[in-house]
Amino acid sequence: MDYLIFSFSLMLVYIGLAQLLHVQFGLLGIPNFGVVGFWGLGLYGTGVLYVSYSMPLIVAILLASLITAAVAYILSHLVLQRSGQAILAATLAFAAIVATLIITEKDITGGVQGLGTIGFPFADVASRNVIYFFLLMVVVVLLIWISAKLRDSRMGRSLIAIRDNEELAASLGKDTAGTKRGVFVLTCALMGLLGGLTAPLHQFLVPYLLAPSLTFAVWIALVLGGKGHNLGAMVGVFATFGLFDILIETYAPVPAEQAILLPNFKLFCYGVLLVMIIMFRPAGMLGVDGPRTRARPATTPAGDASVKEG
Amino acid sequence: MKLEASNLTKAYHQHEVVNIEHVAFGAKGLEGLIGPNGAGKSTLMGLLTRRIAPTSGDIKLDTGSGVKTLNPLKSHEVARIGLIKTNQRIQGFDSLTIRDSLRLAMTPPKDEGFMSVFASHRDPEDVEERVSQLIEAFPFTDRNGYARSGGEKKLLDILRCLIAEPKLLLMDEPTAGLPDDITRTVMDMVREKVADGKMRVVVVEHDLPLIWEYCDYVHFLSEGSILFEGEPEEVKSNRVVAEKYMGV
Repeated sequence: MDYLIFSFSLMLVYIGLAQLLHVQFGLLGIPNFGVVGFWGLGLYGTGVLYVSYSMPLIVAILLASLITAAVAYILSHLVLQRSGQAILAATLAFAAIVATLIITEKDITGGVQGLGTIGFPFADVASRNVIYFFLLMVVVVLLIWISAKLRDSRMGRSLIAIRDNEELAASLGKDTAGTKRGVFVLTCALMGLLGGLTAPLHQFLVPYLLAPSLTFAVWIALVLGGKGHNLGAMVGVFATFGLFDILIETYAPVPAEQAILLPNFKLFCYGVLLVMIIMFRPAGMLGVDGPRTRARPATTPAGDASVKEG
Repeated sequence: MKLEASNLTKAYHQHEVVNIEHVAFGAKGLEGLIGPNGAGKSTLMGLLTRRIAPTSGDIKLDTGSGVKTLNPLKSHEVARIGLIKTNQRIQGFDSLTIRDSLRLAMTPPKDEGFMSVFASHRDPEDVEERVSQLIEAFPFTDRNGYARSGGEKKLLDILRCLIAEPKLLLMDEPTAGLPDDITRTVMDMVREKVADGKMRVVVVEHDLPLIWEYCDYVHFLSEGSILFEGEPEEVKSNRVVAEKYMGV
């Protein structure tokens, strides 16, 4: 039972990360391939502050998110105004740097020996992992809700305009560079926050957690679900992490001798699924959702009439 | 509103495209800028709106409340002062409907901050009204949908700039790709706004009859320099313009 709660909690973190990537890439067009780097900064930041400096967990998480924001701010000045490929390569490299520093700076991070242990808050409650699961759920639901509001807002519209044609948006007076920087720093800080919130789930931090596979898992989920759809991230994580990591690996009645093949089979399925999606449904399973603005009675009658004529 | 450039040059690989000692726009209402292909008209427009960085020279904008040097400004800051340019080549936001595109252009950047995410209404009534007015004045195939043809996209580009209410509007070949009657509707609309004193306009055009009909003043650009300026009648009868451009 505890394992199931752990898995579902981790799935919520993945959904949150994919949702933030939807804002960065789906709405604003920033191809961030360093998701695990920002998440990892939050994770290890929280771990170090909690274990070595004995800060309360919540303070450690918030402080680690702030550190992530600061790093994202510096990175945004270096790479954000470059081409898509450059951003992709730079963020990927950034994540690799973070992972390497975690291993080499063993005085701070514990290196390959690991860092721990990080306990759940409210330690004296028996079902504290269940409470924590619901806490995570509140955070992730809030993220999805805000990004849905964002999409339909004036700000969201300007983000989409910047994604479509940055130069044109600037010529209409939109501060495209500043907007990109602001949104990037905020969403990266939130990735850090999710990293911090992951720390008590793993309890013991090892550099292996910072492998780029997390970035790819989140990207695959987003592309599968639909990068332009607000619920694409969630559906994508259900279809990948939920289906394979939780359902099949744990509950499918696979004979022991074949079970060892499961992780490879999973990667194989991800690959096939990804190729099929890109070939047949490039916008993802859910496609792109349109803005949900209600028609205004004051403006529509004349417009509707003339449309019917035409 | 007066836009002035002095000693303005732009060179690509030592090849000078623009070299202007002095030029002033915006003094006369509706002005035209003509010249043969490759004269540097579009480059000059790009330089003025800070989309292209000049090799040397100063660009100054007199807004009535003080003179501003445009050189250190970024493209969006120039637009915020009130200097906006329509595009020669078709540009657009593919994921925005015609209405959204116009709403976007009309919304001031300060209303697009993070707090707008939690606003109960997206656009105020006056924006909606203005957008509808403008859309109904033109025969878009799908007024609530997306701009379809190249012509519609080009028209939308011009309308976006008009609805943003610039103080000085630069129009780079507004007739290219547009049907004649639509060009006239647009130009009549522009003339009306200029007559009301709401804005000044500079039109870059190859369609000379349109220039003679609408413009109060014409600049002639050839080989990167301003060779002649004057009223349409003077320009029409000028020998340099005739030789260099009209092929007489």
